[in-house]
Amino acid sequence: MQKIMIVEDDPAIREELALLLENEGYRPLVITDFIDIPAQAALERPDLILLDIGLPGKDGFSLCAALRKAIPAPVVFVTSRDTGVDEVRALSLGGDDYITKPYSVPVLLARIKAVLRRTGGGPAQADVLEAGGLCLSLTKGVVSANGNTADLTRNELQILACLMAHAGQIVSRADLIDTLWDHQIYIDDNTLSVNMTRLRGKLAALGLPGAVKTRRGMGYQL
Amino acid sequence: MTLLEFLSDRLGRLALQLICIGLAALFLFATGTQPGVLIILLFVLLFIFAAAQIYDFSRQRAYLRELEFILDSLDQKYLFAECVPPPQNLYARRLFNLTRRAGRAMTGAVSDAQASQREYREYVERWVHEIKAPITAARLICRDLDGDTRRKLTAELGQIEAHVERALFYARAENPEQDCLLRKTELEKIAAQAIENHRSLLIQNGIQVETEGLGGTVYTDEKWAVFILGQLLQNAARYRGEAPVITISARPLGKQVRLTVFDNGIGIPAHELPRVFERGFTGSNGRSRGGSTGMGLYLCRKLAGFLELGLDISSREGEGTAVTLTFPAKENLTKL
Repeated sequence: MQKIMIVEDDPAIREELALLLENEGYRPLVITDFIDIPAQAALERPDLILLDIGLPGKDGFSLCAALRKAIPAPVVFVTSRDTGVDEVRALSLGGDDYITKPYSVPVLLARIKAVLRRTGGGPAQADVLEAGGLCLSLTKGVVSANGNTADLTRNELQILACLMAHAGQIVSRADLIDTLWDHQIYIDDNTLSVNMTRLRGKLAALGLPGAVKTRRGMGYQL
Repeated sequence: MTLLEFLSDRLGRLALQLICIGLAALFLFATGTQPGVLIILLFVLLFIFAAAQIYDFSRQRAYLRELEFILDSLDQKYLFAECVPPPQNLYARRLFNLTRRAGRAMTGAVSDAQASQREYREYVERWVHEIKAPITAARLICRDLDGDTRRKLTAELGQIEAHVERALFYARAENPEQDCLLRKTELEKIAAQAIENHRSLLIQNGIQVETEGLGGTVYTDEKWAVFILGQLLQNAARYRGEAPVITISARPLGKQVRLTVFDNGIGIPAHELPRVFERGFTGSNGRSRGGSTGMGLYLCRKLAGFLELGLDISSREGEGTAVTLTFPAKENLTKL
């Protein structure tokens, strides 16, 4: 499990962020004592540090430089200061990414994952999902059942992964669109329908024709 | 100041001098001075008077020219009285001192106003940063809620953010050079960021977003460009029609790049189109749909002006609206 250190002075954000990261399969490490953070980091050796800029005492910029000296872990700035000047300063001081508050939860998670992957951490989540007689390999984009396999496109993979992660629950169309909506690919309702039809076709070919059920007015269910 | 103006200004004094000379001449003539001597005397006197007037004239004109030059080269014109050499004669010096006192009072008032404006701006910025913390916390807390409530709350939080963002940029637009950072930026990044910022608004309204030809780079301030584009996306979402589609496309135009945001929304009536960039203008669409502040496009134009972006709008009622941002050629920009 990867350890993420949270350096944030707002208690509500700190606690919710810790909860969120825990649910996502990370081990959050909350800093509540803002004295000598580099020493605490050196002791705990986190895999990633989420760093606020407006902190009591020392500001995040100088802290970042100190942290970089103390440990090799990547530093991601999470701050409400949003000018280009701040961002350039943060990145030139050795920050690995710069996220401005208020961020949306999926964006934050995606950027954390990207930084971890870039710095050689590898994804924290399991690569293979299993539910409802299906076995999905996320990195290969392949689904298998009854000894047969089928290749999935990016969208089909995301849809199926979302349904399998919430197996048994109803997933609304809006949630699926929210999952698929990504950088440079903006899914609308029609695209979702098309992808859903294709996915069902592929699942039917694997011998699971009714795997994804439509719950009228509510969404889909695996 | 011309010689004629100078003379007409002194007409009374000149007339008095001439009359005095005439009277003196008459008196001398009557007391038996020879006419030849009189004429020489008259010529000498007239010459001295004329020379004195011309000397005065040229001195005044030189002084005025110097003052004008100083005023022209001054950045803050109201500091004029502090920067000019005091005049030589007593009367003018008194006047000058009065003006200078008045000027000082105004300088004080101006700097007080500037200070309070700066303080206000700083307060707004600090407030905006502070309000972002609870919004962030609320977003994080939201994710535990069930689908529909979460989406609705997220959309409302998005609205709050949009208002907060506008307040921040409104404060910044007062003296924009403080935060502006022009650098090479990918159009794709600007568009992706703006779309990401309005993710829940766009998804909630079932809007299809298409991007086209965003491969280029421009020299601009990324945050500001994202803000401007975001305002356009918000407008497109608010004034959407049936089966809404927003197309963001770019094409080079010589050394410039034109970025167009096109929507198939309800459009803007032709007679309102020239006024959409006015501060507080909401128009019939804004009134009928509500939630319009009349600030979005006003701020866009203000910020675009500072970034030297061209901002044009065209629209047809019932068919849609196209807003074009023209990014300047990079050679035009002063190096930072």
